[in-house]
Amino acid sequence: MMELLQTLLQTGQELLGPAWLPVWTLVKIMAIIVPIMVGVAYLTLAERKVIGYMQIRIGPNRVGYFGLLQPIADGVKLFFKEIIVPSGSSKFLFVLAPIMALAPSLAAWAVVPFTDGMVLSNLNAGLLYILAMTSLGVYGIIIAGWASNSKYAFLGAVRSAAQIVSYEIAMGFALVCVLMASQSMNLGDIVNGQQGRFGMLNWYLLPLFPMFLVYLISGVAETNRAPFDMAEGESEIVAGFHVEYSGMAFALFFLAEYANMILIAFLTSIMFLGGWLSPVPFLPNGSIWLLGKVSFILLLFLWFRATFPRYRYDQLMRLGWKVFIPITIVWVVVVAAWMQTPLWVW
Amino acid sequence: MNFETVVFYVFAALAVIAASRVVTARNPVHAALFLVLAFCSMAGVWILLEAEFLAITLVLVYVGAVMVLFLFVVMMLDINLVQLREGFWRWLPFGAVLAGLMAFEMIWVLGSSKISGGKEVIKHAADYSNTKELGRLIYTDYVYPFEIAAVILLVAMVAAIALTSRRRKDAKSQVVPEQVAVRKADRLRVVKMSAEKHAQKSDSTAGVAQ
Amino acid sequence: MEKITNFFKTFLLFELVKGMALTGRYFFARKITVQYPEEKTPQSFRFRGLHAQRRYANGEERCIGCKLCEAICPALAIKIEIAEREDGTRRTTQYDIDLYKCIFCGFCEESCPVDAIVETRMFEYHGEKPGDLYYTKTMLLALGDKYEEQIARDRAADAKYR
Repeated sequence: MMELLQTLLQTGQELLGPAWLPVWTLVKIMAIIVPIMVGVAYLTLAERKVIGYMQIRIGPNRVGYFGLLQPIADGVKLFFKEIIVPSGSSKFLFVLAPIMALAPSLAAWAVVPFTDGMVLSNLNAGLLYILAMTSLGVYGIIIAGWASNSKYAFLGAVRSAAQIVSYEIAMGFALVCVLMASQSMNLGDIVNGQQGRFGMLNWYLLPLFPMFLVYLISGVAETNRAPFDMAEGESEIVAGFHVEYSGMAFALFFLAEYANMILIAFLTSIMFLGGWLSPVPFLPNGSIWLLGKVSFILLLFLWFRATFPRYRYDQLMRLGWKVFIPITIVWVVVVAAWMQTPLWVW
Repeated sequence: MNFETVVFYVFAALAVIAASRVVTARNPVHAALFLVLAFCSMAGVWILLEAEFLAITLVLVYVGAVMVLFLFVVMMLDINLVQLREGFWRWLPFGAVLAGLMAFEMIWVLGSSKISGGKEVIKHAADYSNTKELGRLIYTDYVYPFEIAAVILLVAMVAAIALTSRRRKDAKSQVVPEQVAVRKADRLRVVKMSAEKHAQKSDSTAGVAQ
Repeated sequence: MEKITNFFKTFLLFELVKGMALTGRYFFARKITVQYPEEKTPQSFRFRGLHAQRRYANGEERCIGCKLCEAICPALAIKIEIAEREDGTRRTTQYDIDLYKCIFCGFCEESCPVDAIVETRMFEYHGEKPGDLYYTKTMLLALGDKYEEQIARDRAADAKYR
């Protein structure tokens, strides 16, 4: 396998010369994005199935065996639907918004490592880059809400903007704890910092457990998922920021939401659950562990949605500002003090 | 012209166009979005300068948080453009003088040999961490200015919160800790009762009630 | 002491975990979905589905054009025109039910003095273009002829409860 790759690399270099680097990078980007898109498609199916099962239903099972072709059918349907641009809307921004929603959530994947060294761009400031990219995702929602020229969309955009900005702070502080513990902002180094003789006990999950909870819950809030899906709020603002969208433009918002979910799941497993490291010392490490952890966190996302009722907006803000941010700040100080003592063994 | 120069000119041109559109755009929301674009292209230029920490922080802080709040406010405002443009010609000379002055100052400061002097950008190895270097400088050479700036910001923040958080006496509000502390047993009493009997059979109890 | 346990319960998200355990249990519960085209739920003989007009055994239509159903219809879905037939009886010339308007309340059936308009158990019907669900007298009579056997059986089963 590796030899085949080597020969491919060499022939490519000889054939294309200086143009080889961008071509090879594009190939790598496709190798990341295509599985993500497939993952997104099947995450929608998994969501419908899991929530269905928790509600004593069986979920989609008509298109293909066990409903396995359902995401493809949905995609085809959305693809052929007409995109209606509302009158009085700002056309350019209306079209730009779904792109702005999807692009950052895909761009963030550039620094996510899949196993040791298997990463598109081994950026030293990887953690910061991720934070910056996830913070850009809110523009898609804001622009969509404003450009639609609809009050529901606008209310959704305003809600979402305030929500995402609030939870980003807690998320950032949680990550500060991680980078203090690992003393690196490179995601690969963060995972390698969690390696040790005791398997699971070496993960940052243990010393940073409160941060793990904060990060996971803020992640749910950042991706506008239930129980924090105030931006959509079907019962009060119809569908929030994307009421006016149809067809492929709507599908892009959908893709962005699920791509963000997968991204958050990856980041949580990389930063707190030891990424591709095996939980027990006698088993070998590998990306299969990473995928397992990611699937578990995605299951948690779906599980939350099936279990919890939606937050009220003021409670959401209270949780973000008055609970999470104080907890994270306190834990930053605790970890900083802890690291100065010999009791810090991670 | 190598690749880096091309990228620099693309980013620089984008930044200049976006910045000029910020002032010329008729719609304030468009202006704010152009400011976002200007920030992003400046972040690109900074990355070319190997200042990746500053570039990413610019995107994270200004684009990701500050501009979102800006947009938030601007979208809510009902701005009357005609009214806004009324004094344009009257104040133009004053504004022009101010702008000229600022441009002159900037050229004077940036053009002096102390700051740039047309030096080449120093290239570093791939494992060189701009962030680490910046952190070291901030907490050694520039620790006092840094801490003073931090304290000033903290004071400003405390003052802003103190000024706005006046609690009105007549306003009703929820006491969240109390609400959270409530348990089921505090509010709910489960009463065990035998199922209600048919009217004929409960003659004796009916008599007592009378 | 209770305060301390409550404090820890709050921060360890005890109640949320409890809720998730509940939904988690239901994940493995037996699913009760009825797989519709293959499986069907049992139907009552009082089921109110598509309308039909009945005839007597000798082939004479029952409807006498009294317009009680038209009067009682809460959705104003029924339209009736009447005229005298050659044999001197009162008959409808037009009896239309607009199924787009109909709410399937069954009042027409209850108001009918001669059991002419009835609601059958049929609920699997559709219209492909506008106007397809506007049922005229001939269509209703045809439906009545087609399902007469079942309609009569259902009326007989329901008779003792009336």
